Amino acid sequence: MIEHGKPSSHPRFFSFLLALGIALIFVATLFSVAFAKPSAQVDGEALFIAKGCNACHTIGGGKLVGPDLQGVTELRTNEWLTKWLTAPDQMLQTDPDAKALLVEYNNVPMPNLGLKPEEVAALIAYLGGGATISGATAELPAGDATSGKAYFVGDKRFENGGPHCISCHSVAGIGSLGGGNLGPDLTTSGFVQSDAAFASFMGAPSTQTMGAIWANTPLTPQEQSDLYTFLSRAAVTKREPSALLQIALLAIAGAAALIALAQVYWGKRLRGVRKPMIEQTLAARKRINAK
Amino acid sequence: MDIRSHVSMVFHLDKCIGCHTCSVACKNIWTDRKGTEYMWWNNVETKPGTGYPTQWEDQDKYKGGWEREEDGKIHLRLHGRKKGLSNIFFNPALPTIDDYYEPWTYDYENLFNAPEGDDQPTARAVSMITGKPMDTIEAGPNWDDDLGGSPLYARNDVNLDDLTDDEREQLNELERVVFFYLPRICNHCLNPGCVAACPAGAIYKRGEDGIVLISQEKCRAWRMCISGCPYKKTYYNWASGKSEKCILCYPRLESGQPPACFHSCVGRIRYLGVLLYDADQIEKCASVPDLELVAAQRNMIQDPFDPEVIKCAKANGISDAMIASAQNSPVYKFVKKWQIALPLHAEFRTLPMLYYVPPMLPVLAKTDKDGKYDVAGLDNEGLPAMISSLAKARMPIKYMARMFSAGNVKEVEDVYRKLIAVRIFKRAQKVKDYQQAEVDAALAQGATNPEEVEAIFRLTSLPTYEERFVVPPLGREVAVEAWEKPLERKTEAGFGVRNKIAKRKF
Ligand code: SF4
Ligand code: SF4
Repeated sequence: MIEHGKPSSHPRFFSFLLALGIALIFVATLFSVAFAKPSAQVDGEALFIAKGCNACHTIGGGKLVGPDLQGVTELRTNEWLTKWLTAPDQMLQTDPDAKALLVEYNNVPMPNLGLKPEEVAALIAYLGGGATISGATAELPAGDATSGKAYFVGDKRFENGGPHCISCHSVAGIGSLGGGNLGPDLTTSGFVQSDAAFASFMGAPSTQTMGAIWANTPLTPQEQSDLYTFLSRAAVTKREPSALLQIALLAIAGAAALIALAQVYWGKRLRGVRKPMIEQTLAARKRINAK
Repeated sequence: MDIRSHVSMVFHLDKCIGCHTCSVACKNIWTDRKGTEYMWWNNVETKPGTGYPTQWEDQDKYKGGWEREEDGKIHLRLHGRKKGLSNIFFNPALPTIDDYYEPWTYDYENLFNAPEGDDQPTARAVSMITGKPMDTIEAGPNWDDDLGGSPLYARNDVNLDDLTDDEREQLNELERVVFFYLPRICNHCLNPGCVAACPAGAIYKRGEDGIVLISQEKCRAWRMCISGCPYKKTYYNWASGKSEKCILCYPRLESGQPPACFHSCVGRIRYLGVLLYDADQIEKCASVPDLELVAAQRNMIQDPFDPEVIKCAKANGISDAMIASAQNSPVYKFVKKWQIALPLHAEFRTLPMLYYVPPMLPVLAKTDKDGKYDVAGLDNEGLPAMISSLAKARMPIKYMARMFSAGNVKEVEDVYRKLIAVRIFKRAQKVKDYQQAEVDAALAQGATNPEEVEAIFRLTSLPTYEERFVVPPLGREVAVEAWEKPLERKTEAGFGVRNKIAKRKF
């Protein structure tokens, strides 16, 4: 039978919705532009702390996770700094200086903080202003590594209902299979190399992904401390070779188990009819002739 | 009564000469494309023999068709819902290409292009699947053609399983050879295993004529139909990734012609016509015990002259022309009126709509110790021995019953008694070497009468083209002219997907 391409009514309906949506967005933008308040002078220092820069950087207080930022405005041009603060992830791909910095600082990348242009300008002004600031200080209670591990792998729930680390991160010391692959492997992460950096980062995560997750379900200080204690202990420069071997062996054993299972389940599958028939008949004839 | 119409078929095996013209006609039209080289929608087998694919009748291996439970319910032998789901990515009952055969051609070019040498150039066999040379060809679609006595193939015919040693010896009585031909196409069953097994719902039976088709748009290559069909008449096209099967040449039927295999048949063994059947009975008929299957299936077929049946048919929208075609149908005569055509392997319970008139038992004879044929003195239930004997048939009745009546020996014997009566009656008429008493005895045993015998003789031996093929007026080609120009497609040919399969649109 020949089928006729009957024009479906769906495309029309869909484009109508689309047009409506675009119109709404347009109107909303007009309003927000018209009524936006002229932004007040952004306070550089407050921003430096609010965005958690001091988790990794000091000004005049020496290296932490990242470099001491004293005199950075003399070292780099304004243009470079603007680019860097706006999109460090892109710079890390293209800029040779940025790449060198990454290597120097244990491959801990500068995260993209999603800063607005006026915020970038405020930060650069603040950095060039000669102020000093020390790194965030840890005000964490004593932590318990066992409980930290339980939080990490999900044996214990976070008080505010945040997701367990293992769903996105892996770390050495949680079994051969490790954890998720969505976020960086925390085994070698720079963020767990000082409790101050960790606490400050987890207190107000500055990266876009982490910020979105933890803004509404923050960790309590005790949870931060437990996690830090666990993670800093787990933190080694590299996975143990034996752990890698374990993963390889597990993969092989798993595959073998699946194959064995399939063999058992489909053991009686049809393995050809003609060839076995001929072979059996010829073998039977040979037996008779031999007698 | 839910009366429906079905384009059905009869193959009169007595007349098949095993020439394979039918297979070639079909191949040239439908399966000469890439991926279909190994398919023979029509194939002709030698029986006893293992057929194509090898031992297709052995459902312990291939798991085709339906199985009857003790409570009288039937279910697909292949799988139910749960097993179907757990096997969906791997069907453990699929035949391998070797069970069909690896298709090949010859490197003919070498005959022209070979460099000069000491030996004649040869055309090597080349696989049509891999393109590599094949050193030994081990199988073909009719590999055991005419090997009726072969210890390698004929002996492995599963229909011989129930025979005693004596009965097997009967097969060897004369020159150790006995065989007949069995041409096979899709049976366009009423309870098709292929349709039931398809997880994609891609196989359907056309309402007006019962032709079973696989939608090339909907097929998703699960290949469950390959196993579900006990006759192994759906095939997987490895190039297109879709399954294909005999389409009963519906484009030809729609323009008033019989299918190509029917049209080209040299022995004129094939008959085509409409049957009216009662669809309410399908499930019940497919579920009766083995020995009642043939009778039940015959019962489903309704008399196209019965006013009640005609009324129900009309209520179902069956046209007057279709009913007239059913009244004219040669299939109705063979199957229902004379009851001499039987379904192949009714025990698969798919209710096949292709019926076979079993071949005449070969002339009964023995060789004596001097190697001379001896036909005299054999008991044939009081009838002249020359024609045949049911008791001492060289093709044992049990073998025939296993193939054509789900093991019901009486069904097959009744058919043979009638066929023997026809022969004795006509021989007495033409050669005049039988007594009237012998003729009367034969007619009585065959439960028939001179008019019926004459009618059977006429439709068997002297039928015209119009008598063999009563193609109903499907008229789609004509109807389609209302919105399409049929000639526009004239330059396009072949099988496949007409409408490009696109991603689903909003
Ligand atoms: S013979 Fe034809 S209709 Fe019947 S099960 Fe096989 S493919 Fe389907
Ligand atoms: S063409 Fe007719 S006679 Fe020849 S093999 Fe086919 S069915 Fe038999």
